[in-house]
Amino acid sequence: MAERAASAGAAWRVGVDIGGTFTDVVAIRAESNETRIAKVATRPGDRVNGLFDALAAVGLEWAEVGDLIHGTTMVTNAIIEGRLAKVALVTTRGFADTLAIGRQNRRDLYRLDVLPKLLPLVPRERCLEVDERLDADGRVLKPLSEADADDAVDKAEKSGAEAVAVSLIHAYANPAHEERLGERLRRRFPYVALSNRVNPEAREYERTATTVLSASVMPLAAGYLDDLARRVPAGARIHLFHSAGGMASAEALRDLPLGLAMSGPAAGVAAAARIARELDLDHVISFDMGGTTTDACLIADGRPEIATDRTLAGRPLRQPMVAVESIGAGGGSIACFDHGALRVGPESAGAEPGPACYGRGGTGPTVSDANLLLGYLDPARPLGDGMRLDPAPAERAIAALAGEAGLSVRDTALGIVAVANQTMVRALRRITVERGVDGRRCALLAFGGAGPMHAAAVARAFGIARVVVPVASSIFSALGCAAAGMSYSQQRTVRMAPAEWDPGRIGSARTELRARLSAPLVAAGHGPHEIRIEEVALVRYSGQSYAVEIHDPDFADQADFGRRFRERHERLYGFATDEPWELVALRMRAFAPQRENGALGIAAAPMPGGSQSAAGACVFDRSGPVATPRHERSRLAPGQTVRGPAVIADAFSTVVVPPGATLTADRRGHLFMDVGASP
Amino acid sequence: MRAFADPVTLEVIRNALTAIAEEMSLVIMRAARSPLLREAGDLSSAVTDADGNLVAQGRDVPMHLGVMSFTVREFLKRVPKERLSPGDVWFLNLPEVGGNHLPDVKAIRPVFDGGAVRAFAVNLAHWADIGGAIPGSYVPHATDAWQEGLRIAPLRLFTAAGPDREKLDFILANVRGAAEREGDILAQMASTRAAEIRLHQLFAEHGTGTVLAAIAAIHDRAEAQMRAAIAQVPDGTYAGEDWLDDDGSGRERIAVRVKVHVKGDEATFDFSDSDDAVPGPVNTTPFITAASVFYVAKALVGPDIQPSGGCYRPLKVVTRPGSVLDPGIGKPVVGGNHETSQRVADAIFRALETALPGRASAGGPTTSGLILFGGRRADGAWTTLYEVHGGGEGARADRDGMPVIRVHMSNVMNTPAEVIEAEYPIRIECQKLRRGSGGLGRHRGGDGLHREYRVMCQDMSVTSMFERRLVPPYGLRGGAAGAPFRVTITRADGRAEDMPGKANARLDTGDLVTVESCGGGGYGTPAARGNRQNSGLGSTGGGTS
Repeated sequence: MAERAASAGAAWRVGVDIGGTFTDVVAIRAESNETRIAKVATRPGDRVNGLFDALAAVGLEWAEVGDLIHGTTMVTNAIIEGRLAKVALVTTRGFADTLAIGRQNRRDLYRLDVLPKLLPLVPRERCLEVDERLDADGRVLKPLSEADADDAVDKAEKSGAEAVAVSLIHAYANPAHEERLGERLRRRFPYVALSNRVNPEAREYERTATTVLSASVMPLAAGYLDDLARRVPAGARIHLFHSAGGMASAEALRDLPLGLAMSGPAAGVAAAARIARELDLDHVISFDMGGTTTDACLIADGRPEIATDRTLAGRPLRQPMVAVESIGAGGGSIACFDHGALRVGPESAGAEPGPACYGRGGTGPTVSDANLLLGYLDPARPLGDGMRLDPAPAERAIAALAGEAGLSVRDTALGIVAVANQTMVRALRRITVERGVDGRRCALLAFGGAGPMHAAAVARAFGIARVVVPVASSIFSALGCAAAGMSYSQQRTVRMAPAEWDPGRIGSARTELRARLSAPLVAAGHGPHEIRIEEVALVRYSGQSYAVEIHDPDFADQADFGRRFRERHERLYGFATDEPWELVALRMRAFAPQRENGALGIAAAPMPGGSQSAAGACVFDRSGPVATPRHERSRLAPGQTVRGPAVIADAFSTVVVPPGATLTADRRGHLFMDVGASP
Repeated sequence: MRAFADPVTLEVIRNALTAIAEEMSLVIMRAARSPLLREAGDLSSAVTDADGNLVAQGRDVPMHLGVMSFTVREFLKRVPKERLSPGDVWFLNLPEVGGNHLPDVKAIRPVFDGGAVRAFAVNLAHWADIGGAIPGSYVPHATDAWQEGLRIAPLRLFTAAGPDREKLDFILANVRGAAEREGDILAQMASTRAAEIRLHQLFAEHGTGTVLAAIAAIHDRAEAQMRAAIAQVPDGTYAGEDWLDDDGSGRERIAVRVKVHVKGDEATFDFSDSDDAVPGPVNTTPFITAASVFYVAKALVGPDIQPSGGCYRPLKVVTRPGSVLDPGIGKPVVGGNHETSQRVADAIFRALETALPGRASAGGPTTSGLILFGGRRADGAWTTLYEVHGGGEGARADRDGMPVIRVHMSNVMNTPAEVIEAEYPIRIECQKLRRGSGGLGRHRGGDGLHREYRVMCQDMSVTSMFERRLVPPYGLRGGAAGAPFRVTITRADGRAEDMPGKANARLDTGDLVTVESCGGGGYGTPAARGNRQNSGLGSTGGGTS
């Protein structure tokens, strides 16, 4: 009965978010609704051991784990730092220079000294051409030359490439030639990426670059996944968090490792979307402020916005992923005095040496130093790893800047926070205006180490009335991992005008996509009845470039479909016309919803004895310090109302409630703040 | 420099003004109907002070940047402030009123507070058609301004009561694609409306007086930065010149000459010795000339200077009326916008090369390389492909040039082969580096582009508007010139024709248009290079690698 015992014990579902500095862990046992959380230092050298540490930190053995879902920055960092495998590229004759040509635009308008665009990841001598040609509808204009194909495989092998990318012109419309090349290449190479699988969309430069990037991280991802498989005891199911939300199996990510490129931020956004649905908030901006960056994403009607045209480290990365706007400002951003104005960032103190108040040798005045001097952060309270903040170096750093700017230390600290907040406001405006949403209607959902500290002031500066600080806000991404369902998404070009409407052709594209996306779910043991499909059709007026998303489209009747497109266009952009339109692409997500139905949360029984622990003095504006009660978050009773000024602290983060704002806790541990007007 | 007491409020207001300008551009891109605005983003937005001096700018297109800093000021010379009312939106495109060429139409809204004009919201959008002899409004053989399209003197198209329907209809009756143009006009209007709302919020939040004081401080700050940058240049007079290929009407090698007088922290750019205005459409305006001056100043000495009217105070630009840079009313200018502006930049770079050794690059693809294909698709609809072609970057003192890139005054992207083949009756036979086209030198110029367009329909029109075909990109300090731009039409029967830089031709099924863009100039003598190979940069030297 040993096997039974193991499976009965293996009821824990564990979410792990491996960040640059800290690894966050949430473990949930569904049957007893028991929760454990922890924060441990990240081990950059040995990722698998990091998972072992994380488990140990919540007091669990592998045998007790059912599913472990983790987000990782492994692929992201490899791309940013350029630690990429040597790739050979096979393409259509006449197009080997596509990567070197790119889109011919330069990165910086005024800097002549910097390279105007990045060098291609594949040098010309490893770009190999084959005779073949398709047209835009996938018709074969010239069949694949078998001799060229053999020759390309030989040359790729001789070039010393570790991985091969194949990207043929118009392969998104007909994969046959790529698949034949893939078959041959796989006999000699363990890592082969085909553009019709990685990114079946038009625009040869972006598709080719994405496919090459995918090939270049395949060995790294496979190495890690193999290591995992070897060292984690059989029985525990390990998943990774996918950039478009939801978890994905190791087997699937081995072929499509770019699914990990936004793994970390996506988990936070997925959790935010789930909270938005539970709380019935129709427009939410997730606001995740960390040490070096702040990630914001618009969540409309409970759905995070998905983008498919992002870049990473200056390289196109056309994969469905949560549309996170990353702002280069966080707790570690350094302030300076520049020609009469106080600037904050983009320079950052990073994790090492960190802000001056970390006492590790940082001397630049940072946003965190300002928060400490203003009284929001408590120097007496240890951070997650036992470190305490030191006001003395913070004060020295800010005093130096104050001297330059001709301000008092206090006004300088206030100024640093105000300027940092203004940078956030500008980014929030961008993500809402771009989508035609009035940002002032949104609720600001704040999490991450510094998000809840800045949320009220950012909301006020933007005109937002309501801030939500969700339960477990400081380890929210880990919670997002623990609560994830399994999911895969992909976008495919399907061009069709009403005059040539062919439900049959759309149907076969959908069937193929569905089969491809469901396969890893089936492999992970989900029955066909458990798999759900979400579809989005991308439609535009002919000649436009911005497509409108139609959720859950019905393709049977083109007139009806056209009506839905016009309604949606009217809603988003304020007008619609009877001009010709066209279907341009399908995006599909296959997922297996999590079996539990309970609300996302962590049971947090309020402790007796009242929440208020101590009073300190905080500075909110130039009128000077005011007495500010400090509350222990875990001691807030459901329904309890706290009027600003107040500070709410838990083990890893701080919520600032400025004068004029009112905060209420609910039963599930979420905090709601009505930010009011600045008094 | 007047000190603004509070550096925090200054930064917050500066950020907010930039956010407003950014939002203006986003509103246009979201609401406009033509792909040129929605995809290529050929537009700009700005906020100016009450006198029309630019304070904050959204999308940073260097050519637009300089021009818009004049638009409102010149507009106010025509339309005094007393005639403006809250809710007005004025449209104009006259080159002589702070403009550049007819397709770039500007919209201006005065923003009132307390009964007075406090600021202007202004945007510029490239209309895909502004009327004239040829669809797309690029007329290579134009010999006067009226052949180039509809000339809109400042016109109040909107008031607080809404659009002025008769004026709107008048404009729409004179341009192709009326429905698309109307959408663009509404988008430009909506963008200025968004700015007005945000500016009112800003005035309410900080107090109008504080915002106006901050705006004055923003100008002063940009001026101080520009002065510090100019002070890096040794005092003296520096002369430079460069040449336009031709004007499409028989004139060749048209000189653009500059004398730069630098004294302390001020500089005068005197273009008086430039050639006279020409009959063809490569004339340009003093405003474009100033835009190029501003770009070069930023690129050479101050890439981080905030664009604002204050930057111009230490820079004086002199043009001679009747010259190619100051042609007066009536001369055609459509190509001058993106061709002659680049020649102005080249002339200044060449003048200052000795004063600032190592800062300038050798000659690059200072042309838009514009080729317009007009034809009918299989479904009978008329369609125009507006395609710009980058070339090889000029080499620099410390490195080879980059292949296939846009330089200086513009930065518009290419259209992917897969998009062209899906939407136009054209097949791309190949796209590759034009190997060996970069000039040799200690550092080699980057290679140009070789792209072949096969025509797949009857009766297609092709229009060219490009430069560097006769006068190639120059080398510096002993480096060789890059290979010149070349466009060849190969007829279905095998006859090849060299296409001039300002021309129009008919094409038929099977004809092939081969675009070979120019290579970049080399830097330093080839002998100084030794055996060094290149790794993705610099010309491959005639196929040796």
